Amino acid sequence: MNWSEVAKAMLPEHLLLAGMVILLTLEVLRGRPRDGFVVAFLALAAAAAAALTLHVESYTGAPFSGHFSVGPDASLAKFALIALALPVVLISRDDFAETRYYVLLLASLYGACLLVSSDSLPTLFLGLELMSMPVYALVLLAQLRADSAEAALKYLVLGGTATATFLMGVALLYGWSGSMSTAVFAAALGSSDTLPIAGVVLVVASLFLKAAIVPFHGWAPDAYEGASVPVTAFMATIIKAGVLFAALRLFETAPVTRPLVDVLAVLPLVSMIWGNVAAIRQTSFRRMIAYSSIAHAGYLFFALLGAGPGRAQAVIFYVVVYGIMNVLAFTVLPRGTDDERSDRLESLQGLYQRRPFAAIMLAISMLSLAGLPPLPGFVAKFLVFRNVLAAGYTGYAVLGLVASYLGIYFYLRVIQYMFMNTATADQPAGHPRRLALAASLLCLAPAIVLAFFPGWLLDRF
Amino acid sequence: MGEATWLNWLLWLPALGMVAVTLLPRGRDSLVRSVTFSCMVLQFFIAAILYQRFDGTVAGLQFATDVPWIRDWGVGYRIGLDGLNVLLVSLTAFLGPLVVAGAWSAVHKDVKLFHVMVLFIQFAMLGTFLAQDLFLFYVFWEAMLIPMFLIIGLWGGERRIYATLKFVLYTAFGSILMLAALIYLVLYTHGSSGYMTFDLRHLSGSQLPLNTQLWLLSAFALSFAIKVPMFPLHTWLPDAHVEAPTGGSVILAGVLLKMGTYGFMKLGFPLFPEAARAMMPVIMTLAVISIVYGACLALVQSDIKKIIAYSSISHLGYVMLGLASLDLIGIQGAILQMVSHGLVAGGLFLMVGMIYERTHSRAVADYGGLAKMLPVFSVFFTILTLASIGLPTTSGFAGEFMALLGAFNAAWPAHLAGNDLPLILAVIAVSGVVLGALYMLWLAQRILFGEARAPHAPLTDLNARETAILVAIVAAIFAIGLFPGEPLAKTELAAREFQQLVAGETIHLGSTR
Repeated sequence: MNWSEVAKAMLPEHLLLAGMVILLTLEVLRGRPRDGFVVAFLALAAAAAAALTLHVESYTGAPFSGHFSVGPDASLAKFALIALALPVVLISRDDFAETRYYVLLLASLYGACLLVSSDSLPTLFLGLELMSMPVYALVLLAQLRADSAEAALKYLVLGGTATATFLMGVALLYGWSGSMSTAVFAAALGSSDTLPIAGVVLVVASLFLKAAIVPFHGWAPDAYEGASVPVTAFMATIIKAGVLFAALRLFETAPVTRPLVDVLAVLPLVSMIWGNVAAIRQTSFRRMIAYSSIAHAGYLFFALLGAGPGRAQAVIFYVVVYGIMNVLAFTVLPRGTDDERSDRLESLQGLYQRRPFAAIMLAISMLSLAGLPPLPGFVAKFLVFRNVLAAGYTGYAVLGLVASYLGIYFYLRVIQYMFMNTATADQPAGHPRRLALAASLLCLAPAIVLAFFPGWLLDRF
Repeated sequence: MGEATWLNWLLWLPALGMVAVTLLPRGRDSLVRSVTFSCMVLQFFIAAILYQRFDGTVAGLQFATDVPWIRDWGVGYRIGLDGLNVLLVSLTAFLGPLVVAGAWSAVHKDVKLFHVMVLFIQFAMLGTFLAQDLFLFYVFWEAMLIPMFLIIGLWGGERRIYATLKFVLYTAFGSILMLAALIYLVLYTHGSSGYMTFDLRHLSGSQLPLNTQLWLLSAFALSFAIKVPMFPLHTWLPDAHVEAPTGGSVILAGVLLKMGTYGFMKLGFPLFPEAARAMMPVIMTLAVISIVYGACLALVQSDIKKIIAYSSISHLGYVMLGLASLDLIGIQGAILQMVSHGLVAGGLFLMVGMIYERTHSRAVADYGGLAKMLPVFSVFFTILTLASIGLPTTSGFAGEFMALLGAFNAAWPAHLAGNDLPLILAVIAVSGVVLGALYMLWLAQRILFGEARAPHAPLTDLNARETAILVAIVAAIFAIGLFPGEPLAKTELAAREFQQLVAGETIHLGSTR
């Protein structure tokens, strides 16, 4: 084993780990709450910088051959994941003084980075679990509401089911091929035997569960609503991105053939429709975002239909844009003392009059999530559907686009609330905080770049 | 090179204005208005210079810019003036300052946001007309939705939220299918030519099988027909128009509706010529239904704004009829009618806004004898009424007459060949002129003459600002009406190219002069 390669290739992970160790030490030594936030932020910034450097250098290396490897694409994905966590941490300080919150956050990110780089199914599994498990605790940590515990339990039980399903699928794939490499999955995609197909379906089902694809979506609305704002932002963006990167890792560039195409197309399609339709009825902002994220998970899995290098491009671009825009929404969301009340959509009424900056940012976020140009969400949507059409699935592409049309209404309704309705009762004042402002600017800058120069990111593949 | 820079300035000036206005301090409303107005006036002057310099005898793009944007997909920032868009770009630039001036005393709520949105939509509209790249076109096309959504929804009338959601949901539905169709087209071209490009000059669906062409054209046509709007898809228009604030109505009637007809002219028909020929009878029929149906609905309205809104459906029917005739005169007439309608309907909406500011009523029944109370107002209203009817010497006459002439020109050979449908449609379309005269003159008679009455009487007549706006519009109407040859000379070559492209071999020549 080449130690210098281990040190360099895993630098982002090492920095995250160092952050965790320091945080735990601080927790043991003395409990000054502020430190946790600062250490976590610095560790994240350093890890993001390290991932970016590895990407810019086009560093490739396999410190643990057959288990863990790094390439420019993986480094870029890691950078996206870690950088997305920066604004999330910035909005966390007011909600979480405890050091353990940041430890859990970093641990989850460590898992996400691990799965991006994994070359074998056990490593992938390790990453997936390391990413998910801290989140079960994170949902419960805020305990803003009585039903937070219920939400966390639901998430835990269904997450456990996903784990079991994943392992079952992996076992079947191993039994078929006698190998634990991730390449087995791509090979199984082209097979027509029952055994590998069953393995693929089980693995895909577990990914669907973790990404909240209908009919495995039941946990998402409760978990999103029950968790605190930063945790919801984390779940909606980084966890979803991690799951999709895992899927990307497994599918590689292999084409999806006939019996599997329909599984991979129909359930995401149903997710888009159901997510977008159910979001219309919601009265709670986080619940609405949960259904929106169910629909977006649908688009993301749709992008896997097209084979070739376009797949990674579509998934990574979509994940980045979707993540930035979602986090942007959460950074400006007005927060009151009573979480249940400030989470209601009506509390956004007349927001433009009270806090024009927040209202405009939220509007940008919503319009981008709706996929309207000139916002970057449009390019992302375009990329996904171009991929599906290029793969020859015209019918699915048209249905998917119509499903995305269904989503426009509820995003526009948020804008209607903020700009067109006047404030009725006592709304949460939600004074703007400097950290949240920094977080939203951190999201806004890349969003502007991606809106005007999408090529900047697209050329990196 | 130097000239292309001017066109870029024209396009980006409203965008710069947006940034500038956003950075202005809150509460300085008159400053916001002045900055926006100066920006609009400046871009009008640039447009006027470009219009003057535009050479109608040269085929192809002028003042063009072509820079790669998303290299991977062959998407470019490609803009340029050609014979098809030069008049519409000028119209957009001309109406811009008038919209701002017209809203000077009408908008008091969130003044800054309003002006940012007006500049935004100006930017998007100019971009849609100028785009020579399918991707760029779509981006600008869809981007128009956002400012219009806010303009209607924030500063509109009582049912503004219903109206604005209806507007956005209607138009967005059309565009989503257009998106699918345009990706399909580009991928197909990629497959047959080997390189991926969104450059409109290199895209043509003519190699596609007719069946596919029909599907793709239907998707494009749905989107454009909603915007025009053509007969069964028009129901969003009255709501949007009536609820929109004056500025919004002027933008909507003046420019936005032309996006639909321009889309047919620039993309729909030339990209899929065979399908276009096959679908012509359907398009013509819908155009004629729009003409007559819009006019009939205008006849029975009791709200002044609604009358003008329905009249737009009727007038844009002529545009579609002229385009669908595939006759040179008809196509030229269609282009002229687009500009004319922009001026006339824009002017009428501005006038309704002016009277509404004074009385807060748009009901026809509330008014009478305004000629005695508001002589200046009445003079302008009469002129615009006559222009709307299409009286000779006004722009409305030239456009409508040529569009109808084109329809007859095309119908006659078809009639001789035993196909009577085009002739019957053309004859029915003429009846729209009569109906148009009926509802507009009746409206003028009811509100201008008779017993003098109005809410909140006595009323003050138009002030200098309002008079100046209307003088500009009326001057443009007469300029086009008296000298239609000038703008037509700029469009003739492009119209001929369009005709040859779409009509293929079967050109029946009728010369313009």
